[in-house]
Amino acid sequence: MKRAPKGRGELRDLPPWRRTRQPAFRGTSFVARRLLLGAAQTVAVVLLVFALTEALPGDAAVALAGDQPDPARIAAIREAMDLDRPAYERLADWATGLLHGDFGTSLASGRPVTQYIADGFGPTLVLAALTLALLVPLGFGLGVLAARHEGRLVDRLVSSVTLAVYAVPEFALGVLLVTVLALKLAWLPPTAVGYGTDLLGHPAALVLPVLVLLSRPVCSLSRLVRAGMVDALASPYAAHAHRYGVPGARVRYAHALPNALAPAVQQLARTVDWLLCGVIVVEALFVIPGLGTVLLNAVAERDVPVVQGLAVVFGVLTVVLNLGADLVAHKLTPRAGVVA
Amino acid sequence: MTTLPGRQRRFVLGLAVVAVPLVLALLGPLFVGDPGPRATSFTLGGDHWLGTDFVGRDVWQQVLLGGRTVVVTALAATALAYLVAVPVALISALTRLRWLEELLMRPLDVLLAVPSLLLILLVASVLSPGAAGLALLVALVNVPDAARIVRAAAGEAAARPAVEALRMQGETWWRIAVGYVGRSALRTLAADAGIRLTGVLYLVSTAAFLGVGVTPDAADWAVMVDRNRTGLLVQPWAVVVPALLIVALTMGTNLLFDAALEKKGRRP
Repeated sequence: MKRAPKGRGELRDLPPWRRTRQPAFRGTSFVARRLLLGAAQTVAVVLLVFALTEALPGDAAVALAGDQPDPARIAAIREAMDLDRPAYERLADWATGLLHGDFGTSLASGRPVTQYIADGFGPTLVLAALTLALLVPLGFGLGVLAARHEGRLVDRLVSSVTLAVYAVPEFALGVLLVTVLALKLAWLPPTAVGYGTDLLGHPAALVLPVLVLLSRPVCSLSRLVRAGMVDALASPYAAHAHRYGVPGARVRYAHALPNALAPAVQQLARTVDWLLCGVIVVEALFVIPGLGTVLLNAVAERDVPVVQGLAVVFGVLTVVLNLGADLVAHKLTPRAGVVA
Repeated sequence: MTTLPGRQRRFVLGLAVVAVPLVLALLGPLFVGDPGPRATSFTLGGDHWLGTDFVGRDVWQQVLLGGRTVVVTALAATALAYLVAVPVALISALTRLRWLEELLMRPLDVLLAVPSLLLILLVASVLSPGAAGLALLVALVNVPDAARIVRAAAGEAAARPAVEALRMQGETWWRIAVGYVGRSALRTLAADAGIRLTGVLYLVSTAAFLGVGVTPDAADWAVMVDRNRTGLLVQPWAVVVPALLIVALTMGTNLLFDAALEKKGRRP
C-alpha cells in the first residue's frame, strides 16, 4: 500500500516549539486524527449498510418477496420492516437500536438477530483465532527464512510458491485439497458436517478449513516480511553490527526484524478483509455453522434484518482492527506517517 | 531455458500457466457443439469425455463455455474501476481548491474500510445482480483503492515545476491533466492494474461461487465447482477441472504481471 508521505514524522522528534511546519490539522495528534477517521468509518458502515439494503429505489417489499410476489407476503414484509415510514425515521430507530445492542428481528423466523449472531459466533471465532495464531509465526517464519537465504534455492522456492498461491481463490484451492487429502487419501474429513458448533472437539475437521483460510494471508505477510528483512539486512546498521561481531541471529531478530515489522503489522490489518472473505467462503465450503454461513443463508432468504446485523458486526470489526493496526504501526515507526 | 534470466523465465512460466485457461475461456465457446440430450447426473465415461454434471450436462462443454463470464466480467470490472478512479484522482491532484480535494478523496478513505465481499453480499441480499451488475459492484469496491494509488502518483507529477510552466503558458486543463500528469502516472497505473486484475479475478470468481451475479445452473467455472460438489465422490472431474482452471488463471495472471512489472516501479 503506497501512502503519500505527510512530512510530519521528522517534526515529531523535535521539541514542540520547533514544530513549525504543521500540516492541515494543526495541533491534533496522529492518534486523534486516526480515531476520528475510525469513527467516521463506523458511521459510514452503518449508513452504507442501511442505504444498500433499504433505501434502494423501488419498492423494497416487492424486491424482497422475490420469487413469491404474493400480495399477502409483500404486505407482511412491509409491516415487519415498517416500510411505510420514511427512510430517515427507520434509520434513526435502527441506529439507536444498534447502540443499545438491539439488532432487530429476523423476517424469516421472528427470532432476534442477536441470537443469530450468538449462534454463529463460536465456530467463526475458533476459525479466526486459530488462523491468526498460526498466521503470525508462519508468515514471519517464512519471511525471515527467505530473507536469510536471499537469492538462493530456499528463497526462490518460498518466493515463487507464495507469489503463486497468493492470488488463488480459497474455494478453488479448498476444493482441490478436499479432493486429494480427504477423498483420495482419506486423511481428513471432507466437511465439518455432523460436528455442529463443537469444532474444538474434532480437531481433524479443522485442519483443512484453517489451512485454506491461511493460504492467502500467509503468502502476503511472508512476502512483506521478506522484503522488509532484505532491506534491513542490507542496511548500514546491520553491516555495522556484523562488524562489531554481534551474532547473526541477534542482528536478524533484535535489529533487523523490528524494522521489517511496521509494514507487516499494517498488512495484518488489511488481511482482516481477506480473512473475512475467506471465512465466508470456507464456512460455505466445509459446512461450518458460523457467522459466514448465517450471513449467506440470510442473503439467500433475503432476510434483511439479519443481513444488516451481521454486516454491521463484520464492518465495525474491520474498522476497529484496521484502526488498532494503524496505531500499532504508528507506534513502531513514528516516522513513516501512516494514513489519515 | 537455463540461459534465460530469472525474470524472463518467470514471465514464460506465467504465460504458460495462464495460456490454457485463457484460451479455453476466450475460444472455448466457439467449439461447443450441439448440447445434445441430457444424460443421467454424475456419470463417468460413455459418450462424455469428462462425464456429466449435476443436471446431466456434458462437463467438457460446460468447461468450454464457463470461462468467458469470469474473464470478461473481471476485465470489464477492472476497466470500469479505472474509468471512475482516474478522473477522480486527476481532478483531486490538479485542483487548487482544498475543499474539492477533500470532498473527492475523503469519502473514499471512509469506504476503504468496508470489506469488499460484504458489500457485494449486501447488495445481493436485496437485488439479484446479473453479470453486468456483478461487474459494476466489483468495480465499485475497487474504486477507492485505485483512486488513492493513482492520486499518489498524479500528485507527485502535479507538484513538478513542469506543471507550473504549463499553467503559465496557458495550456488547457485537459492538456495538463491528460497530456502530462496522466502520462506521468501511467507507469504506476500499469503496475497497479496487474495487481488489481488479480484481485478482481479473485472477487468475481468467489462471488460466482457464492451464487452472486449468476444463475444457479450457469455455465461458469466457479458455479460448476459449487454445484457439482455434491457429486465429488462419484464424479470428481466436474469439480476438479474447473477448479484447476481457476487456479491456473489466477496464479498465471499474478506470476505474469509480477514478472512483467519487476523493476518498473512496482508498488511496494
